[in-house]
Amino acid sequence: MKKFLIFILLLLFVGLSATNIGYAQKPTGEPYVIGGIFPLTGYLSWLGEYKKKGSELKVELINEADGINGRPLKLVIYDDQSSPEQAAKIAQRLISKDKAIAMIGTASVPISGAVASLANKNSIPAIIGSGYEVNPEKDRFVFNTAHKTDFAVARPFQYFKEKGITKLALLMPIGSLGELGSTLARKYAPSYGITIVGEEKFDVKAPDVTAQLAKLKTLKPQALFSFCTGEPAALVARNMAQMNMNIPVLVSHGNANPGFLKLVSNVNVPIIVPAGRAAAPDAIPDSDPCKKVIAAFNKRHIAKFNEPANYYSAEMVDAIAIIAEVLKTTKGATGEKLRDGIENLKNFVGMQGIYNFSPSDHHGTVLNDMMVFEVKEGKLHMLLK
Amino acid sequence: MGEYSHLFQFFFSGITTGSIYALIAVSLVIVYRVSQLICFSQGEFFVFGALFMATLISKGVSLPLAFVISLFGSMAMGGFLQWLLIRRIQGSSIGNLIVMTIAIFLALRGLALIIWGRESYVVRPFTESQPITFMGASLQLQVFWIAGITVFVLLLIWFFFEKTMLGLAMRACAENPLGASLMGISVNRAAFFAWAWGAAIGAIAGMTICPLLFTQYTSGVMPMVKGFIAMSIGGLSSIMGSVIAGLMLGLVESYTIGLISSKFSDAIVFTLLILVLLIRPSGLFNSQR
Repeated sequence: MKKFLIFILLLLFVGLSATNIGYAQKPTGEPYVIGGIFPLTGYLSWLGEYKKKGSELKVELINEADGINGRPLKLVIYDDQSSPEQAAKIAQRLISKDKAIAMIGTASVPISGAVASLANKNSIPAIIGSGYEVNPEKDRFVFNTAHKTDFAVARPFQYFKEKGITKLALLMPIGSLGELGSTLARKYAPSYGITIVGEEKFDVKAPDVTAQLAKLKTLKPQALFSFCTGEPAALVARNMAQMNMNIPVLVSHGNANPGFLKLVSNVNVPIIVPAGRAAAPDAIPDSDPCKKVIAAFNKRHIAKFNEPANYYSAEMVDAIAIIAEVLKTTKGATGEKLRDGIENLKNFVGMQGIYNFSPSDHHGTVLNDMMVFEVKEGKLHMLLK
Repeated sequence: MGEYSHLFQFFFSGITTGSIYALIAVSLVIVYRVSQLICFSQGEFFVFGALFMATLISKGVSLPLAFVISLFGSMAMGGFLQWLLIRRIQGSSIGNLIVMTIAIFLALRGLALIIWGRESYVVRPFTESQPITFMGASLQLQVFWIAGITVFVLLLIWFFFEKTMLGLAMRACAENPLGASLMGISVNRAAFFAWAWGAAIGAIAGMTICPLLFTQYTSGVMPMVKGFIAMSIGGLSSIMGSVIAGLMLGLVESYTIGLISSKFSDAIVFTLLILVLLIRPSGLFNSQR
């Protein structure tokens, strides 16, 4: 009897193990290859690492859930070295050698431009995540999950309007980013009843901007806009605090990252940072459908990387999710079919917002998907939902 | 007086940046006086001093102790680099030596990237307090530390070069290397100490200034360029000249930004340098040649 019981237990054990193997089995079909182009070295490497982590985990989660109709996703990642030339070489390799059905990645406008031209030429969809403005007439195969740069100016201006701020001073870094910030500020200011009272420039390597601030202070602005990222933005805020210039300072949406928050943790001026929901998930109301998506992904991200996903990784997580969603319903993953599938994707809830693509809109997100935050004690607090 | 407060703010801003340029210029002059060499790696001693001190403080070392350890560490690094690399090619052309200092600059920058990564480091001010307000303009207390330490360093340099045997020997090496070596003075030893001194002063500049900046591995370029301009305007081997030129440079930049436009600040500084080089090539304060 004892032997019989042991035999039964053994049978049960084997049976259960076999069942477990069955559930844990990965999707078996031929993988869909997606190319990842990320700046893992070079000046944009801090962004590339976030994007790589997010997209890798998203692919892992999709494959855990049986892939796309039984076929796994395979993410082939290359380093673009923060260079458009290298990104172009990689894109070509992904298309011709790795047979990627779609590409994701990039982190700057010039790099995105290089990848976009190859995507269009080879009719392979590319979902990028940068300030690159997609023109669907020209960029037939290019999509962008990053919020439009215009949103990073228009949304905070909307907040300024709500707060009765009408006099704005500009302190822009010398270079293309500063020029862009200045142009956008002047474009949107009239729509929100804002007057630009003055503009000064500064070198991003300068150790002090108090002279520029003193000049602007005489114009009595109610807020300051400095379209820069990282140390220069932190320096502007710190010099303002040192001069008791206690007015809000709006900086670029590139600052929604832990490094910047650490730099300004002891700075006592209101620092306004526009960013997506993923930058501060706790600040999102429960009624927001994106909250659930962000919370579920963050749980796994924290378990794997010991940190939550952020505004930049969210762009690539959404890129993978969009491709996976379209693949589910597309027969034969040709570039044209995928492109058409993405263009027809409506009300798709991602981490960056609710996407509604169309042949004339390859961004999919809207102004209200950009949130406005204030930095308080090293954390982002939502000001405008 | 409120309407004139920005004029005072321009002055304070100029003094703040000018002090930074002055200290770096002094460290360049020290090496130049002894070895007739402009050390283009000087900005990296600025970075190493600041980042090493920031790391020590983050590990719980007190600020004064971290300052002293970084100071001697940088001093040792400067002397070591002179012994390891410069001494080997001492007899070759000045062009070779300058290229070597550029190579050292690039190597140290790469090393800093490996050690500290791309992150920026913040060090708390030596005295934590609200900025001083004067006539509506505010001045950070750290600027007093920078000024005080600059004065202390200048006194120390004066004492060293005027009152100590080693200092006198170093001066002799600068003025007549052959004569000095015939008198039994080791030119190599003098150059070794000049590099150690230069590195230490570069590091002092980095350490005193870093509470005003966000220091990272690339932060050495700007002080090096502006320090070099100050040194050129002041006179390549004049310590006081480089201090005055450094402060002047900071003030010119600040008042240009404030009264004309920030677009012209660099253009005016470089125009000033070109004018000085054309009218008085040996520098405004160089009486030696």
